[in-house]
Amino acid sequence: MDNQQPTVSIAAVFGATLRRDLTIAYRRRGDFVNPLIFFLMVCSLFPMGVGPDPKQLAQLAPGILWVVALLACLLSSDNLFRSDYDDGSLEQMLLSPVSLYIQVLAKAMSYWLLTGFPLALIAPLLGLLLHLPATGMLALVVSMGLGTVSLSLIGAIGAALTVGLRKGGLLISLIVLPLYIPVLIFGVSAVQRAVDGLSYAGPLAVLGAFLALALTLAPLAIAASVRISVDN
Amino acid sequence: MHPVRKQRLMVVLFILFGAAVAVALITFALRDNINLFYSPLEIAEGKAPVGTQIRAGGMVLEGSIKRDPNSLRVDFIVTDYAAQVPVSYTGILPDLFAEGQGVVAAGKLNSSGLFEATEVLAKHDENYMPPEVQSAVDAAAETLSP
Amino acid sequence: MWQFFHKLGSPRWFYEISGRWLPWLALLTAALLLTGAVWGLAYAPPDFKQGNSFRIIYFHVPASAVSMACYMVMAMAGAVSLIWRMKLAEVVMKCCAPIGASITFIALVSGAIWGKPTWGTWWVWDARITSVLVLFFLYLGVLALYEAFDNKEAAGKACAVLSLVGCVNIPIIYWSVEWWYSLHQPATIKFTEQSSMHPDMLQPLLVMIAGFYCFFAVALLLYTRSEILFRERNTKWVRALVEKSVG
Repeated sequence: MDNQQPTVSIAAVFGATLRRDLTIAYRRRGDFVNPLIFFLMVCSLFPMGVGPDPKQLAQLAPGILWVVALLACLLSSDNLFRSDYDDGSLEQMLLSPVSLYIQVLAKAMSYWLLTGFPLALIAPLLGLLLHLPATGMLALVVSMGLGTVSLSLIGAIGAALTVGLRKGGLLISLIVLPLYIPVLIFGVSAVQRAVDGLSYAGPLAVLGAFLALALTLAPLAIAASVRISVDN
Repeated sequence: MHPVRKQRLMVVLFILFGAAVAVALITFALRDNINLFYSPLEIAEGKAPVGTQIRAGGMVLEGSIKRDPNSLRVDFIVTDYAAQVPVSYTGILPDLFAEGQGVVAAGKLNSSGLFEATEVLAKHDENYMPPEVQSAVDAAAETLSP
Repeated sequence: MWQFFHKLGSPRWFYEISGRWLPWLALLTAALLLTGAVWGLAYAPPDFKQGNSFRIIYFHVPASAVSMACYMVMAMAGAVSLIWRMKLAEVVMKCCAPIGASITFIALVSGAIWGKPTWGTWWVWDARITSVLVLFFLYLGVLALYEAFDNKEAAGKACAVLSLVGCVNIPIIYWSVEWWYSLHQPATIKFTEQSSMHPDMLQPLLVMIAGFYCFFAVALLLYTRSEILFRERNTKWVRALVEKSVG
């Protein structure tokens, strides 16, 4: 096969990378539940910290749920490129003639399907634990569904930058947390608005705009970072 | 076209598409009045939704504060010097609440045009106006003197 | 033009030419800072409301202005180093981070000291203060990332990517924080924003701002020069320099 002539289409590359990552994740099902358990555990720490008063918890619930989901996303993102880096498949990705942009986009998406998406799905359950009013549930799921995609993509930048380093874990938080702030602000405000009985289309639209930007621009940064880390 | 170039072109188009979607969504969000803040003029013109939680702001009209002697209910009029909106509020007002002061009220507009506030915030400094109030007053002044 | 650009890429050329500029720039900086400080602290009239405590503005505002400009310089240098693989740009980018972090820290601390007499509290979650805090975090992230790499060449590239990502994000973060703040405006805080400043107060402020910019340039040059010497420590021209200075 001629290396200069990619014979596969973009969709095929995207699909193949996605399928590969999901298959690997399926073979290691234990890793998949870890962020969810983290989400559950940290959320249940809050009543013990601030007291079990339902009224107070309900007031804090949107913020707590979003911050903890954000941390769960962040901490799991450390593993995003780690095993591929260790076994050399990341290097193969660089050498393959198809666009790295598409490959890292597919990887980030599969990572979102495995962490952000389930987090958004179980969020209402934790909302119940924290006495989040029922009117906020739909907004919680939708805003988290939209927001965690951006979080995953931004987290992937941090993961790609630190994958070659032994001490990645804490470093990735320092790099990525400031970049998470806009998503957090609009995510919480969508839920808060729904709880207050307001229209939350505005914050959702903004989250959607962040998503569009992250989907298109973040893979550029991820691809550049992967190159740097592999060359290192 | 060379396949590698073609892929690159697709990526560039994808990025442009993403930027366009982002701009469209932000425009939508801004037009949706993302702060849910309305000036008295906008309320008088019927731009504010009735029965949903919104925020309104302006200056408290001189001589418009009426306190109910039997309860904590207070009625006053908020103005941007172009239009006036009657506001009723039951509860303890901030210390700085006074005639001629800038206020921001959160609450619902009822069908008869009365703003039923659930929260009233007063602004402290006479030199300072919340930017929204200031721009509301400015905008009203502009429409009055074309 | 291209030749100049090409020359700029050579650390040695930069080292030599910057050595010639440096004394003059340092002199200008000292003059501006001294004039501005004496003028602002001793001669400018006290504020009608805040009295003398407003004078911290002469450090706070310039520091805030430079903290932002420094990030722009860092991101631009990062972009140049990634696109044209210019070594010098990478060095400049690396040197911007600690300077920017320190100046941002000065801006935050002087703001807190100013806040105590004016607002009665050290810290307020005001939109601008929060944004500067986030800027400080971004600097810390770049610093931490640079330190984590053993291979400093890769570190430079990684930091360049990160600073560019941050640069795309800064306007978004600012806008978000401002929007967030407008929803939560606390009712009891007294703001002392004045749209117009008296010229007697403004002029020393402008001098101080110019002085801080020059100070930033001097610090950046010094830092860049020492970093160049360190990176090029095995080259002939640096050895010759060392031998000359040792005697």
